[in-house]
Amino acid sequence: MDLDDLETGEYRLTCPGETITSAHDFMRGHGTYVDDELVIASVAGTVQRVNKLVTVRAARSRYNAEVGDLVVGRITEVQPRRWKVDANSRQDAVLMLSSVNLPGGVQRRKLESDELQMRTFFEEGDLLVAEVQAFFADGAMSLHTRSLKFGKLRNGQLVVVPPVLVRRLKSHFIALPCGVDLILGLNGYIWVCKHMQDADHGDEGFDAEAVYSNQNDEIDGPTRLAISRVSSIIRVLADHFVPLTDTLFLEAYNWLIEQEVNTKDLILGDLGDAMVAATCSVR
Amino acid sequence: MTGLSKVEISYIRSSLLSDPPLRADGRAPEDFRPIAVETGVAPLANGSARVSIGQPRAGRGHEAEGAGGGTEVVAAVKLEVDGVGDDEEGGKVICSVSCSPAAYPHLSSPALDDLQSDLTSLLGSVLSHPSLCPQNLVIVPGQKAWALRLDTIVFADAGNVVDCLMLACRAALVDTRVPSTRSVEYRAPGRQSGTLNEVPDDLMDVDQSRNGPSSMLETRDPSSAVDFELADYWDEGKVLESRDSWPVCVTLNMLPTIHFLDATSQEETAVPLRLHTMFSFPGGKPTSHGMRMAGAGTSDMTQIGLLLKHAEKYARNMWIGLEAKLAEEEARRSVKAREKFYGGRRR
Repeated sequence: MDLDDLETGEYRLTCPGETITSAHDFMRGHGTYVDDELVIASVAGTVQRVNKLVTVRAARSRYNAEVGDLVVGRITEVQPRRWKVDANSRQDAVLMLSSVNLPGGVQRRKLESDELQMRTFFEEGDLLVAEVQAFFADGAMSLHTRSLKFGKLRNGQLVVVPPVLVRRLKSHFIALPCGVDLILGLNGYIWVCKHMQDADHGDEGFDAEAVYSNQNDEIDGPTRLAISRVSSIIRVLADHFVPLTDTLFLEAYNWLIEQEVNTKDLILGDLGDAMVAATCSVR
Repeated sequence: MTGLSKVEISYIRSSLLSDPPLRADGRAPEDFRPIAVETGVAPLANGSARVSIGQPRAGRGHEAEGAGGGTEVVAAVKLEVDGVGDDEEGGKVICSVSCSPAAYPHLSSPALDDLQSDLTSLLGSVLSHPSLCPQNLVIVPGQKAWALRLDTIVFADAGNVVDCLMLACRAALVDTRVPSTRSVEYRAPGRQSGTLNEVPDDLMDVDQSRNGPSSMLETRDPSSAVDFELADYWDEGKVLESRDSWPVCVTLNMLPTIHFLDATSQEETAVPLRLHTMFSFPGGKPTSHGMRMAGAGTSDMTQIGLLLKHAEKYARNMWIGLEAKLAEEEARRSVKAREKFYGGRRR
């Protein structure tokens, strides 16, 4: 490894124990250590450099949050004025009561009665989509759901993939033409659900009933089948460690329809390999 | 996982009840995930097996849970010498299950202990039953016998852990070899030849009756043997008797009007009522070894009868599959042993 490589800004993969550069010219960051005046990688991942600081971002790790990230999480605990949320990170995230939309409009003040009925909004086990708002001093992230796009998740199922496979996209709400919506949480939790009509009502028409509902809508057979197909596609792609993008889902789905096969063969047979080969070669 | 939300539970249940029934991964209700069996995984054990359900392919790494994770169990059999008390046949099977905390990251350690003792008692109630105890565990009748310790570890749980455990137990027990022994008897010097002062080269006399003809000693009462020694022999030993009767388990997950097999952990959470049924098919004849209903809920009798018929059918399929795989593993085993033996010689 030479300085030139670092200068060009190209991604470079390391193995643990690989020498990256000299310790005289660079500072060691996360994922590296210094031995015998050399900076050496301690994890497998990509080398990143900011000025004189060299870090290695691990290929397989828990989710490292950044402000503004879209995450899908699961409530683990209800605490005074806050919820604890499992977001596949090192610590549980926190969702404050003050960072959710409450029934009765955005500008409404939080009352004591809201604190007493927090479980009517979110209870243990509930899935939600939220944005990373800030970090606490101990590194735990604080979430917010102050948008109509965010909130409780319904009408579908969760698929878990390694977080590195979810790239940062323009939009993490993806509507596939097969009547399936995807929410790609950057933490590796992916929600696959029935397509929802875009809510065209503004903040005034905020419908608390619908947002915090615990009831699924009617979902017909073909939609369920499509949801199960898309989930299987995601699982197979994740098994092959393919980074996920919206075009990839579409290609894989169309390929699957062309082949006229059962979804279960994707999981059970060699079909998964064939699908990955077919769709990834197109790219 | 901290459990599922209400909408997820209702989604899973309504998908299962839709026509045709749909599952999260597209399987039909009676489909199993791929099962992988490997025997002889623990070199120091008398018999061992690793069974995994639902791992996509051997050789592919374990991804984050949900992606490629499956249920994985290792079972190992260790034989220990044990004294035999009065009015005992001798030989016993002791089961234990331990669960790796990594398999249940959300459980506190007391909860993990509860789960372990639950699974241990389930396994023990089936496998430790005297009717299953193999005859050739007895070393010296009335004196010594092998105590068969069957230890299993759950490394990962992605649902259907009981079926996986029972498969691993059966595979490990079939893989088990009981070391061959010869019984040894202490005899007063001179009883045989009359020369009183002849000393004790043959104070200990090896009983050859098990391994060869012994014309001189035909009057010996077998119960006079008090101890044994291990035969120094190339073979690893004999297989356990009654290996045909170690059962396999099929778990039926019951949702009123339908049942399904091999639930994932999400499905187990959504449909808590299940029926574990243990069957063996010695000589093709179905034998039930136990049944346990778990989870909250009730089921009416006529349905149970019907379910048992189905369970027998599923168990038979699983049995046939496992037999074929174990036969294959056994062939591989002798090849492996031979390679090791000759390979070691040449070097």
